[in-house]
Amino acid sequence: MAGQERRIDDTMLIREAQRGNHAAFEELVRNYDQAVLRLAMHLTGNETEAQDVYQDAFLKAYKNIGSFRFECSFYTWIYRIVTNLCLDHLRKKNVRKEDAPVAADGDGGEYSLLDQVPDGRAGANPERDLMRRELGKRIHGALEKLTPRERMVFELKHYHGLKLRTVGEILHTTEETAKNTLFRATQKLRGALGEMR
Amino acid sequence: MSREEKRWERCDEGSSKKQVPHRAFSPVRNDRSEWVRIMKCEWVRENIVLHVYGELADDARHELEQHVARCSDCAAELKSEQEFHALLSQTPVIEPSPNLLAASRMRLQEALETAEQGRWWHRLAFDPAAWLRQVNFSPALASAILIVGFAGGIGATYKYAGLRIENSGIASIANPASTAPNDASVTGISSITQVPGSNQIDIKYNTMATQDAQGSLNDQKIQQLLLFAARNNFNSGVRMDSVDLLTQKPNDVQVRDALLYALQNDTNPGIRLKSLGALGTYVKSDVRVRDAVLAALVNDACPGVRTEALHLIEPVKADGSVRGVLMALAAKDQNQYIRTQSRSMLAQLPEID
Repeated sequence: MAGQERRIDDTMLIREAQRGNHAAFEELVRNYDQAVLRLAMHLTGNETEAQDVYQDAFLKAYKNIGSFRFECSFYTWIYRIVTNLCLDHLRKKNVRKEDAPVAADGDGGEYSLLDQVPDGRAGANPERDLMRRELGKRIHGALEKLTPRERMVFELKHYHGLKLRTVGEILHTTEETAKNTLFRATQKLRGALGEMR
Repeated sequence: MSREEKRWERCDEGSSKKQVPHRAFSPVRNDRSEWVRIMKCEWVRENIVLHVYGELADDARHELEQHVARCSDCAAELKSEQEFHALLSQTPVIEPSPNLLAASRMRLQEALETAEQGRWWHRLAFDPAAWLRQVNFSPALASAILIVGFAGGIGATYKYAGLRIENSGIASIANPASTAPNDASVTGISSITQVPGSNQIDIKYNTMATQDAQGSLNDQKIQQLLLFAARNNFNSGVRMDSVDLLTQKPNDVQVRDALLYALQNDTNPGIRLKSLGALGTYVKSDVRVRDAVLAALVNDACPGVRTEALHLIEPVKADGSVRGVLMALAAKDQNQYIRTQSRSMLAQLPEID
């Protein structure tokens, strides 16, 4: 029911944005930008690049909102734009082979994003914290070895909890193909991280 | 053919289309039931991932669980997959920090200021493939376009002179010497100034060229421009000026809506604070205002706005929803002042039996 209401709200906002109402478009941005930034950060592993993806995605959405024909939800549409930008990024990154995910601090220095994962569990101790960070780096390394498409399906399913049907819609493919891609991705990850269990 | 064999046949048909790597299978014995059992294990192992992610249909999930209950190898495989899933889940997704989100929003706002939306002719010129695809799949649409084109051609030949007269009429209607601005024609507000010692307000706004409107705050045109500026302007100074003037008329429904919008959405904390101040007197009588003030108290990134919101809910602190928020803030808010004040407000409330 809440999803249906959100969709009705989105429809009104999209129609307003199509008429050139900036405020309506800004409201659409605010409804989805946190999820978009989270996805971009996880996929690029870098705050600056995530901001670039965020910027490009919403600018692209703004310029093309007039061609939005309500054939899918705005959510699917904006995710499609973001995933395409991230896929391009991952393909380029596969050529460059960059290091661990980084962010810039106030002084312009860089620090690892993996070190920022909060540990909310009770009884956390430095040794366990160190092991968790090590695990994070190993998982990141294993994710980097997946193909961009496998990585994308795995991210959307595992970390963002989307249904595979939706993942298929976003990636312009079938649910069945998304299932197969998820299967391949988990097999590869299990192979790469097998000794950690 | 047994039910299990039929089931496998279905699965085998499905998996033959897949690119899932199958293990080489060579039956050691010619025992058909053993063959069916082993093939079922293959199917289960291909679908365990989907089971762990809750993506199996009810009948397939039931079948998988039945098989796992009987087959120790597959049970071990399921346990292993679940452990792996748990291992991956130990590193959650990093949430973007509020600062990063705010910085991204500001950068986007600046970029949107100069960006232009694509027009229909732009799409036609730059994405003809999509149009052709649409026409290709819509014979009725293709026929309609053909008929319209044909009729248009005939019409143009015989009624050229008549159309010229009609067109000039349309042009004069579409460009009337109207003084009332509307949202569609206003592209931005460049400045708002109040004439000192009077109630006259001077607003410079842009359509195709900068225009000037003058009048008092009660003037409808001035009010419309102020409401437009409060919601749409990319210049925070102009937004601040408009909200500042609008705060003089918070009893007007449209003005109150604009103030609520500014409180909930404006990126400038000064503007949010100003809207909050004007809305404060309605916290008791308007439930939308109360909820917006509560939302600002809980979510606003600016401690000053939160503190002001906390002071404003004083008259409604006994409300159930307000009391709930205060209890949550008193227990675990990061801001010490908010925590202490919430406790003190709760302490003044009568106990609930």
